[in-house]
Amino acid sequence: METISKDLLTGERKGMGRRAAMLLGGAALAGMTMSRRASAQAAVTDTDILNFALNLEFLEAQFYTLATTGQTIDQAGLSIAGGGGAGGGTVTVKANPMVTFSTPLLQQFAMETAQDEQNHVAFLQKALGASAVAMPNIDLMNSFNALASAAGLGASFDPFASETNFLLGAFIFEDVGVTAYLGAAGLISTAAYLDKAAGILAVEAYHAGSIRLRIFQAGSAAESAATSIATARASLDGTSNDDIGVGLSNGAATIVDADSNAIAFSRTTAQVLKVVYGGGSTGGAFFPNGLNGTIK
Amino acid sequence: MEKLHEFARRAVSRRNFLAGLGYTAGTAAAVTLAAGCGSSGTMTTTPTPPTTPTITDADVLNFALNLEYLEAEFYLRAVTGSGLSDADAGTGAGAVTGGAQVPFKTTALQQYAMEIANDELAHVRFLRKALGTAAVSRPAIDLTNSFNAAATAAGIGSMFNPFADESSFVVGAFTFEDVGVTAYHGGAGLLTDKGNLAAAAGIMATEAYHAAEIRTLLTQLGGNYLTYANQISGLRAAAGGGAEVTVAGNTIVAADSNSIAFDRTTDQVLHIVYLNATPGVVKSGGFFPQGMNGTISASAS
Repeated sequence: METISKDLLTGERKGMGRRAAMLLGGAALAGMTMSRRASAQAAVTDTDILNFALNLEFLEAQFYTLATTGQTIDQAGLSIAGGGGAGGGTVTVKANPMVTFSTPLLQQFAMETAQDEQNHVAFLQKALGASAVAMPNIDLMNSFNALASAAGLGASFDPFASETNFLLGAFIFEDVGVTAYLGAAGLISTAAYLDKAAGILAVEAYHAGSIRLRIFQAGSAAESAATSIATARASLDGTSNDDIGVGLSNGAATIVDADSNAIAFSRTTAQVLKVVYGGGSTGGAFFPNGLNGTIK
Repeated sequence: MEKLHEFARRAVSRRNFLAGLGYTAGTAAAVTLAAGCGSSGTMTTTPTPPTTPTITDADVLNFALNLEYLEAEFYLRAVTGSGLSDADAGTGAGAVTGGAQVPFKTTALQQYAMEIANDELAHVRFLRKALGTAAVSRPAIDLTNSFNAAATAAGIGSMFNPFADESSFVVGAFTFEDVGVTAYHGGAGLLTDKGNLAAAAGIMATEAYHAAEIRTLLTQLGGNYLTYANQISGLRAAAGGGAEVTVAGNTIVAADSNSIAFDRTTDQVLHIVYLNATPGVVKSGGFFPQGMNGTISASAS
């Protein structure tokens, strides 16, 4: 049987550890030189990967919790401190961000998603213990404005202004979460962690699927905006071809964000950083001062 | 952190552990592995020759291929009225019973169905190509008696035709989708090649997109169709080791209390698709009247 590796893991070579291959592939794809970590031969540990994921979960948890309750997750009782005691960062968000929902099913789903993302934060914090990073500074205001400009949607965008805007704001994260977990899964060495990461990946894909369906149902303006965002994400990560919008393709809907083999897209950590930094190298957009941890 | 690292270091990998649970003939072997997992990790029992058949990546991918054949046949027939081509079904493929073009009235639903049909066809082709000559052909598939039996077992009624109308179709689709996610999630732990793992994880994500789509549509449909779906969910839970949450507006995601999606062993998946909740060896039934093709085709427990 032929393995599938060659198609999927750019840069993998026989006899070379997958982790090294992924790092090389990621660097090559992002057009970057080897990082100082790589040149120092510091292996990416499972702790590094899980902390990378924890940063993204902080972002998602804050967004959904603010959208559904008007509160931050720390106001809701979750810890944003590091496992070693480091204090959590700040969240920049407009006043009164709670979305005015008029569709009960959408509100219920938003609340479910907020709970899921909070659970992911808590789960990762527990798994990481003293190694867990604190929440970095998060920006949920200027970030959306910058991404809206990048996507050609105008100079400003308020994801808390309406149900449709909320869906589009959620859309920005969810598929990225899927690609991030898919890319990171290959870096995880402990089987038990891999299993958990796969389970979180599936949950992010559930979220993404439901959000994309609701955007499809919201009509052509929402679809068009989502497609512009998808194009911007693909552009930011340097590939131009690893994201598809919401709409129709040859008579079929495009609810699933996947390649021609119907396999969901994957992003390297470097590509994910480019997206959440809005193209920045050391921070920007959602994480104005960068992520916490070693992968940043 | 340390705890889980230790778990892994104890030399009983999840893969071996699951393989032991799923594929050894005797409970004793599974118990031995479980004991090894829970104690100091040195397996000092009498050295008996290992009886666990080695599960290869090809075995796992072929297991997945059987499920993809089932999904592809269901969705392709629902959308186009005909199923996989002979080339896509493989040499000596089994017959398919039932399945018909759904008289869609809502354009969007037809568009969703068409996307999923395309996706499942792409999965069949991808797995067949990846497996090459090792790919199993399509087993016999039943899309008529299976749904009737499921409906009976779930308490819906003596007959259920998922091709009768578009709402019934959504319930029919629900029968498969979350199961696919749990099957790939469980199967991922059995794969040894990292490339295969990446592909399986990517397919799992696609199945989760589908599952969320179907579950969301069910909450929007409401009424009897939502009730039927949850009766099917109950049936899956009974046959497949739980791993279900009631579909509702605030439970679109099928996941545990940590918001981590469920997984199932191959045994549990077999019990579901064979529509047989009785513990023990089950080799066929339900959607696969002559069983699946490949080495993972009979439940061990």
